Amino acid sequence: MRASPASFPRPLARLVAVAIDGKASAAALEIIGLTKRYDDSTLALDSLDLTIPDGSFFGLLGPNGAGKTTLINSITGLVRVSSGSIRVFGHQALAEGPAVLAARRLVGLSPQDVNLDRFLTVYESLVYHGGYYGLPRPVAAQRAEEMIDVFDLRAKRDTRTPRLSGGMKRRLLLARALVHQPRLVILDEPTAGVDYELRLELWRYIRLLHERGTTILLTTHYLEEAEELCEQIALIRDGRVVALDSPTGLRDLYGADSLGEVYVKAVGARPDHVEVS
Amino acid sequence: MEAFSATTAVPRDLPAKELRRLSYVSLFWLAARECLRVGRLWSQTVVAPVVSSLLFVIVFGLSLGDRIRQVSGFEYSVFILPGLIAMAMFMAAYMNNSSSIFQARSDRYIDDILAAPMMPWQIDVGLTVGGVFRALMIGGVLTAVGAPLLGVPVEQPLALIVAALTAIMLFASLGVIVGIYAQTWDHHSFVSNLVIQPLAFVGGVFYSVDVLPSPWHELSHANPLFYIVDAVRYGFLGVSDVPIGISLAITGGLAALMFSWSVWLFRSGHKLKP
Repeated sequence: MRASPASFPRPLARLVAVAIDGKASAAALEIIGLTKRYDDSTLALDSLDLTIPDGSFFGLLGPNGAGKTTLINSITGLVRVSSGSIRVFGHQALAEGPAVLAARRLVGLSPQDVNLDRFLTVYESLVYHGGYYGLPRPVAAQRAEEMIDVFDLRAKRDTRTPRLSGGMKRRLLLARALVHQPRLVILDEPTAGVDYELRLELWRYIRLLHERGTTILLTTHYLEEAEELCEQIALIRDGRVVALDSPTGLRDLYGADSLGEVYVKAVGARPDHVEVS
Repeated sequence: MEAFSATTAVPRDLPAKELRRLSYVSLFWLAARECLRVGRLWSQTVVAPVVSSLLFVIVFGLSLGDRIRQVSGFEYSVFILPGLIAMAMFMAAYMNNSSSIFQARSDRYIDDILAAPMMPWQIDVGLTVGGVFRALMIGGVLTAVGAPLLGVPVEQPLALIVAALTAIMLFASLGVIVGIYAQTWDHHSFVSNLVIQPLAFVGGVFYSVDVLPSPWHELSHANPLFYIVDAVRYGFLGVSDVPIGISLAITGGLAALMFSWSVWLFRSGHKLKP
């Protein structure tokens, strides 16, 4: 069986994770000892360590309640973490001051739930989001138009967001995450609830984004999606990383024929959705 | 889907000075978004409060005014206009921000703002601007229409500006706070209908508290809205029930308190972030 970084003590695990990829000085995301306990005492993240190399396509898998969304919201500053540290391209994301500003502008988030501004049109959603990330008006406008074309939203350019279909809202969420050209794009179940055709389209687009050097952190319930897209996958359970490797490495590690089998062995639960190729 | 055009990703490292400058660009866009919302809902946000205030002037001032002798040396319609303008402004500042922020929390699009590269106080200021903008629009329109119509002077313009801005800031910040704490739409209506409006009515909008018997006269001085109305009236008419310095100090102190509270909410993430 291959060694999994998650099976080592914390400092060593970081070194192993880095050594696997060989990009020690270029971590897009470095999380050390991240703990989040909610007010109702639920422990969502339990001293979690994770390093995602710059330029990688990284998958995060786990059952509902494993801590995936809490982890993502911690990275983007949407959760008050209990302890630990998060660095985005070397910038401390949990402190205050310019370091946080630097960290946040490097991240783009496409959230799991649709959270579009109901008062804005498609075009305005993109322009204002660009503005929130410091883009001057001409640049924000240019980027918005570009994203509208890339995501086939031209016909709905001046439509308010509540009037969009579910698939269009999903596309707009992804477009919004990319307006400010982030180096780390976090996709929290981007294909949940979308039809197969749109899912393939989104895959194609995400691959293209990755080919251009963007680091991708993807959470999904579709194991086929993770296997198809991700270079490395972390399996998360009870707020901890229980396995981390390439899809092939995980299969070897667990002596499994498929990622689904790995998932069942590592996480101890059936995946919610398993796409059959 | 089309392919990407040739674009460059955002630079990894920028000097702290540039990051701070960009955060002010972000603040500008957030403020612009809040003003856009006011403009997009103009019939509710501006026209409705202006019409209801003018109806107060018509009903109480012009219809019943002849039956009321002068108050503090002014025709009744002239006397009530400054208070009505003050009430319309601070109600608008409060209602705008409490509803805007509650809506943003309810639909979760506030996450897009909370995740943006802005300092907590900048997010607070950006969201506060909407209420300030709306209140100034209403105050401006009411002054432009009502003052010439009724012959209301502007005796102390500087005091008027200071009084109006501090009062607006106070209620805009209160709106932010209630918008963050509210769990249902009823909560922010409760504060406006059962706290602010009654306090405004007994705060001297329609009468001078000097005519009230004891203990109502003394109790009126415990009502913070009395000082706001009195300060705005001083700006227009040049007369007040208490010295203008006291009114401005109390209003300014409360505005600073509310603003500090709202900044703390964004800094700590209390009620905004689990």
